[in-house]
Amino acid sequence: MKTLYRDKFQSVNDIKSRLESADYICSEQIATCVYIAHHLQKPVMVEGPAGVGKTELAKTTARILDVPLVRLQCYEGLDEAKALYEWKYAKQLLYTQLLKDKLGELLDGATDLRQSMDRIHDHEDLFFSESFLEPRPLYQALHHDTGCVLLIDEVDKSDHEFEAFLLEVLSDFQVSIPELGTIAARVKPLVFLTSNNSRELSDALKRRCLHLYVPYPDEKLESRILATRVPELSEQLRKEIVSFVQSVRELDLKKVPSISETIDWAKTLVLLHSEALDAALVRQTLNVLLKFETDIEAMREHTMTFINKAHKRSAG
Amino acid sequence: MQQTLEDFYKVVRAAGVKISPVDSIETSRSVQLVGFRDRQILKNAFQVSLAKSETEQDVVAECFEQFFKFDAFGMGQVPIEQMGHEQRQSESANTDDPIPMEGYDGDLPLAKMLLDRDKASLATEMKKAAREVGLSDIWFFTQKSLYSQQIMQKMGLRDLQNEIARAGDGDCPGGVALANALREAKDYLAEEVRDFVEQQLSMYGKNTARNLREEHLSAAKLSNIEQRDFHIMHDLVRKMARRLSTQYSKKKKRENRGQLDFRKTLRSNAAYDGLLFETHWKTKFIDKPRLLVMCDVSGSVQAYARFLLLFVYSLNDVLNRIDSYVFTGNLIPVNDIFERYPVEQAIDVIMDNYGMGGSDYGTTLLDLEDQCMDDIDNKTTVLILGDARNNFLEPRSEVMQLLYQRAKRVIWLNPEPENFWKTGDSVMYKYRPYCHLASCCNTLVHLERMLDDLLKSATATI
Repeated sequence: MKTLYRDKFQSVNDIKSRLESADYICSEQIATCVYIAHHLQKPVMVEGPAGVGKTELAKTTARILDVPLVRLQCYEGLDEAKALYEWKYAKQLLYTQLLKDKLGELLDGATDLRQSMDRIHDHEDLFFSESFLEPRPLYQALHHDTGCVLLIDEVDKSDHEFEAFLLEVLSDFQVSIPELGTIAARVKPLVFLTSNNSRELSDALKRRCLHLYVPYPDEKLESRILATRVPELSEQLRKEIVSFVQSVRELDLKKVPSISETIDWAKTLVLLHSEALDAALVRQTLNVLLKFETDIEAMREHTMTFINKAHKRSAG
Repeated sequence: MQQTLEDFYKVVRAAGVKISPVDSIETSRSVQLVGFRDRQILKNAFQVSLAKSETEQDVVAECFEQFFKFDAFGMGQVPIEQMGHEQRQSESANTDDPIPMEGYDGDLPLAKMLLDRDKASLATEMKKAAREVGLSDIWFFTQKSLYSQQIMQKMGLRDLQNEIARAGDGDCPGGVALANALREAKDYLAEEVRDFVEQQLSMYGKNTARNLREEHLSAAKLSNIEQRDFHIMHDLVRKMARRLSTQYSKKKKRENRGQLDFRKTLRSNAAYDGLLFETHWKTKFIDKPRLLVMCDVSGSVQAYARFLLLFVYSLNDVLNRIDSYVFTGNLIPVNDIFERYPVEQAIDVIMDNYGMGGSDYGTTLLDLEDQCMDDIDNKTTVLILGDARNNFLEPRSEVMQLLYQRAKRVIWLNPEPENFWKTGDSVMYKYRPYCHLASCCNTLVHLERMLDDLLKSATATI
C-alpha cells in the first residue's frame, strides 16, 4: 500500500500558511493536528459547535492536498449498504434475463441436475464481481489511486452498529466484503470525522482518532477570518461586527452564532452598504445572526449596550 | 526523554484522563514527529493525541503547564529542548539563597554545588534522585516527608553531614565558617526538596483525595450526607445514570433489527418469476419502555428527599420517556420544573412548594388511578421512592394491586431498612406483595444497583 503523499506538508507552519492561502484561517492547534494526522495516518475526530468550520477544514485540506474529497453524511439508520457497497440487484437480474439464451446454451448437453449445477457454479462469480458492485463513499475512498480526504460527517448521528463497523475501516483502512474478500486501501485516505456531540461516541472509536476541538474563535482570530472571507468589509465595521458577535456569544441563547453566521451577517451588511452598526440596522438584520425567535427577543434589550461597546472597541 | 514522557502520562492519568498503552505509544510518535523545539506545538500535539473530549483537552493543557514548569531552586522556565540536560547559566541572585562561599577545596560534589550556588546542577541532581526513588508514585500527603528524606539521601545527605561534622571539628576559624555555610546550605536544600515534592504531589496525587471522597460518599447513608457535598453527589449520580443509560440505549438498538418479511417479499416478487430481488423487511420493532417515577417529599423522608429528587432529575436528563411526580398527598407532575430549572434550583422549588407535611399514600394512589392508570400498560415501569409511612391513614392497597396487574414492573425503593417496614405507621408490608421488587435503598451504591436492575428489565425483550 502506498502512503499518502508524505512530503506534501513540511511543518506545522507550512500547513498553517497553506490553509491560510486557501482562505481557511486556523489556530495552531488545528494545524498541528492536521500535521500529525497526515504523517502518522491517523483519523481526526473534529468536535465543536455547529458552524465553526469543522466540515470546511476537511474540504480545504482536500483542496490544498489537491486530492478529491469523499463525503459520507451520517444519519440514524445508515448501514453498510449505504456507506460501503451494494450489489446492483436490478442489473444482475437484467443480465440473467438477457443471458437466458446463453445460459440455455451453457446447460445444453448436461445430462442431470448435478452437471447443470456444476456448469453454473463455474460462472456464478461473474454476477458478484466489481462490475455489479455499486460503490458507496467508504469503498470509493479506499479505491482512489491518488488518495483522498474522507469526510465522515456528523458521525454522532449514526447508530452504534455503524460506529463499530467504522472501527475496522479506521484502524486498518480495509473492509471485508463477503463475496470479494478483504479490500485494502490503495492509498490511505486522510480521514476527518466530525461530531456535534449529540451523543457520546464509544471509547474504541475515540481511541483510534486524534481529538480536535474547534471552539468559537476569539476576537483576533475571528477578525482575521472575516478579513479573509469578506474582504470588502471596512476595517471599522469589521471590528464592530466582531466585538458585537463576541458579546452576543456571552448571552444565554438557544443557538449561539458561530463563525459562519458572522460571515453571513458581514456579507449582508456589505450588501446593504453599511459603514457602521446602528440600532435600526442591527434590528433589521439580526435574523441573519440568530436563528430562533426567542433568541432575537432575548437579544433586543442588549442591542444598544452591545452596539455602544462595539463602537468603543473599534474606536479604541 | 522516554522517562519524562512516561512521567507526564502518569500526571495526566492522575488528573483523570484515561490513557491506554496504545495511546501513550501513539502520543510518543506524535511528539517525536513535531519535536521539542516549539513549546506551543508540543502542547498542541499532547492535547490532540491524549485528550478525548473538550474537558480533557483543558486538563491536558493544565498538566502540561504544571509538569514542564522547571522552577525548582528558583529557576525560571527553560526551553524544553534543554530538559533533562545540565543547564549551567547562572541565575540572578535571590535574597533567600545561601551566600556563595569561595575556596571550598573538598571533593564532595553536593557541597560544591551548594556552595557554588549551581542551581541548574542541583535541580538536575534532585530530579535524578527523585526518579530513582520513584517520586512519581507519590499519592498521599503523608508520604511527603518520606520522599523528601529519600531524595536528600540519594543526593548525598549523609556525606554532607559528615563533611559538616568534619569541618566543624577543631578550632580552625575557616573550618567553622565552612561548617556554618554548609549547614545553611543544607537547610536551603531541604526546603527546596520539600517544595519540589509538594509540587509533585499536587500533580501525581491530584485525584486521589477526590476519589477517596467519592468512594466514601457512595457508601454513606444518604441522610448523613451534608449539603456541601451535594455537588459531588450530583456528579456521581449523573455519572451513574449516564453509564447506565448508555447500556440501555445499546440494548434498545439491538432489538430494533428487522427481519425479512417472507410473505410480503414473495408476494411482490411473484412478478419476477419468484426471484427474490425486491426484499421487504418487517417493520422495525421499536421498544419504547416508559418510566413513571413517584418520589415522596414529605417530612418523614426529608433527609432523603433531596437525593431521591437528584436521582430523578438525573434520570430525566438521560432518559427520554420518563414521567416524574412528587407527592405528599396529591400527585404532582414535575417534568416541567426539571426542564425549566438547573438541578439545585429545581429541587429547591419542589421542596419549597410541595415538600414537608405528612404523607398520605392512599390519596396519592387514588390520584395515580385517576390521572395515570389509563396510560400505564405492560410497557410501563413504575418506580416509587418513599418510606410508606402513611400516618395511620387508609393505605388503599387495592390501587397498588391494580397497578401491579397493569404495569410491567413496579419497583419500590424504601430508604428504611427492611426490619422497620412493619413498625409504627409503615404500610410497606401491605404494599410489598404488589411490588415486583421492593428494596431498601439508602446509599448511592444501593441506588446504582437498583437502577441497573431497573434498566435491565426496562429493555428486556417483551
